[in-house]
Amino acid sequence: MSNKPGQILGHGAENDGIEEYDNPLPTWWLGLFYFTIAWGVFYGVNYHFVAKTSQAIQYDAEVAAAAAAAPKQAELPTVATPELAAAGKGIFEANCVACHGPEAKGVDAAGNKTAGPDLTDGQWIHGGTYADIQKTITVGVPDKGMITWGPILGAEKISQVAAFVHNSGGGQ
Amino acid sequence: MTETKPNYDDAIVKKFIFATVLWGAVGMLVGVIIALQLAWWPANLGLQWTSFGRLRPLHTNAVIFAFTGNALFAGIYYSMQRLMKTRLFNDTLSNLHFWGWQLIIVSAAVSLPLGLTEGKEYAELIWPIDIAIALVWVVFAINFFGTVAIRKVAHLYVSIWFYMSMVITITILHVTNSLTMPASLTKSYSIYPGITDALVQWWYGHNAVGFLLTTPILGLMYYFLPRASGKPVYSYRLSIIHFWALVFLYIWAGPHHLLYSALPDWAQTLGMVFSVMLIAPSWGGMLNGLLTLRGAWDRVRTDAMLKFFVVGITFYGMSTFEGPMMSIRAVNSLSHYTDWTIGHVHSGALGWVGMVTFGMLYYMTPRVWSRKLHSDGLATAHFWLATVGIVLYVVSMWVSGVTQGLMWRSITADGLLEYPNFVDTVTRLVPFYWIRLFGGLCYLTGVILMAYNFIKTASGPQVDAASLETAHV
Repeated sequence: MSNKPGQILGHGAENDGIEEYDNPLPTWWLGLFYFTIAWGVFYGVNYHFVAKTSQAIQYDAEVAAAAAAAPKQAELPTVATPELAAAGKGIFEANCVACHGPEAKGVDAAGNKTAGPDLTDGQWIHGGTYADIQKTITVGVPDKGMITWGPILGAEKISQVAAFVHNSGGGQ
Repeated sequence: MTETKPNYDDAIVKKFIFATVLWGAVGMLVGVIIALQLAWWPANLGLQWTSFGRLRPLHTNAVIFAFTGNALFAGIYYSMQRLMKTRLFNDTLSNLHFWGWQLIIVSAAVSLPLGLTEGKEYAELIWPIDIAIALVWVVFAINFFGTVAIRKVAHLYVSIWFYMSMVITITILHVTNSLTMPASLTKSYSIYPGITDALVQWWYGHNAVGFLLTTPILGLMYYFLPRASGKPVYSYRLSIIHFWALVFLYIWAGPHHLLYSALPDWAQTLGMVFSVMLIAPSWGGMLNGLLTLRGAWDRVRTDAMLKFFVVGITFYGMSTFEGPMMSIRAVNSLSHYTDWTIGHVHSGALGWVGMVTFGMLYYMTPRVWSRKLHSDGLATAHFWLATVGIVLYVVSMWVSGVTQGLMWRSITADGLLEYPNFVDTVTRLVPFYWIRLFGGLCYLTGVILMAYNFIKTASGPQVDAASLETAHV
């Protein structure tokens, strides 16, 4: 096969008049092709045999990193201080009043009973200690419509809003 | 040029051109409707048959199999007769092919809004229609290879190689992916279990892109671009090498649709690296197209037909770079499931397939009807509407997709999702959905201008065929 730039191959009569040059492959194009092949081999070998990465390994690493970053159980406050309760007031108003009422008394502004119970009367369905209240908020009571707030609010905000609830009258 | 003009079957080409324009307008209209539904939900009309989930597969099937399918058949039947200096193998098969294909399209247009689906993307049609597709495709294959067998020239031009890769590969892909166990006339279960089913599906889905929307369009480019420009193809050697590299590499790249899924890691890596290796073979086609126009660029300025080819080929180069990038694990973890993917698909479908198809239609229509194109001005208006439409579409989906991806993965300092409510990530995107709708409307308007132009062309005064030929230099 001739390979001279600018030379017509002469298939035209058989190609409905379409002529073809036989120009060489552009060097940069060929270089790009070889580079992607070499990169493909390098990537595959590195990913599976050198770096030994896999979805499962990446997942385990991310879970471990998240666990390391998460506040330890011991670091969570164990006493519902007034400071924590003050910080929790806004969180309560933003997230909890729809089901527990603006005063946390289980009634809405019009005096109708709300979906959630009174939190100020000293009667506790799931325990009334500070630790109990933190746990109930974190895990939720999905059967009764109380959602699992842990992943939404996070441990710090839960410790604050739990302190607010605990100190609102009924805490043990 | 030729001694005696062979008795080419241009009647079948006319039929396929008519179907291409008709179904193109319908498919794109449905696209505009579902784009409106995403920006303004009441456009769902509150009816199950007009809801997004029912109309979206109708849009994709109409554009891929009705618009592009008919365009491919028109262009292939037109060019292969001329490249082989013979009439098509059998007129009955040609007509069976045409009417069978239209019947399949109509059955899809009825069954999909009714909610009858196999639930596989781009392979939604239920098993009786799948069997009909296989039968009509075999009719096409017999007609195609029959014509090759009775050809009057020894040499097979490169376009024919690209067409062959489509005829053979689509047969295998469609049959393999559609194997199901029927439970009733409208319901069936895939014979593949779990992740195997997903892998077969994306082996099919990716190669439908490769062998229906890429290789045959390249084949059409290799015929219509030199014909329209009167210029020799830049490099025969490049055309052969990028053809074989393309067909060999494409078939492995499907698993990039299943990154970070239950698919084994090694298969994901395979899909990813074969996708990256596809950049150069794809660009080989772009280079051969653009370099063929050397010395003809002054004509591109004035000739709408050549403008369509240039922008189409440029979009091919852009989306065949974007695709491999999106198949890289780190990029895919951001882009997957977002509007970025939708933008990518449309830069290929509207930019590459659509523009090359329009260029080809503007070449063929005056010639098969032996009439001068009614209006060059309307063709130029179509070109600009289409180009502006694509750019608005693609750019709005890039912004929307990246916004979506970043919002989904955004984590607060506490390790919680910053946007736990999905709807927050949707309302943010609505402005881009309006821009996308406007881009789609521009594109559809262009197609309607083309349809009007063609109707006026076909009803205009007949001219001497020789006056329509491009001067070859």
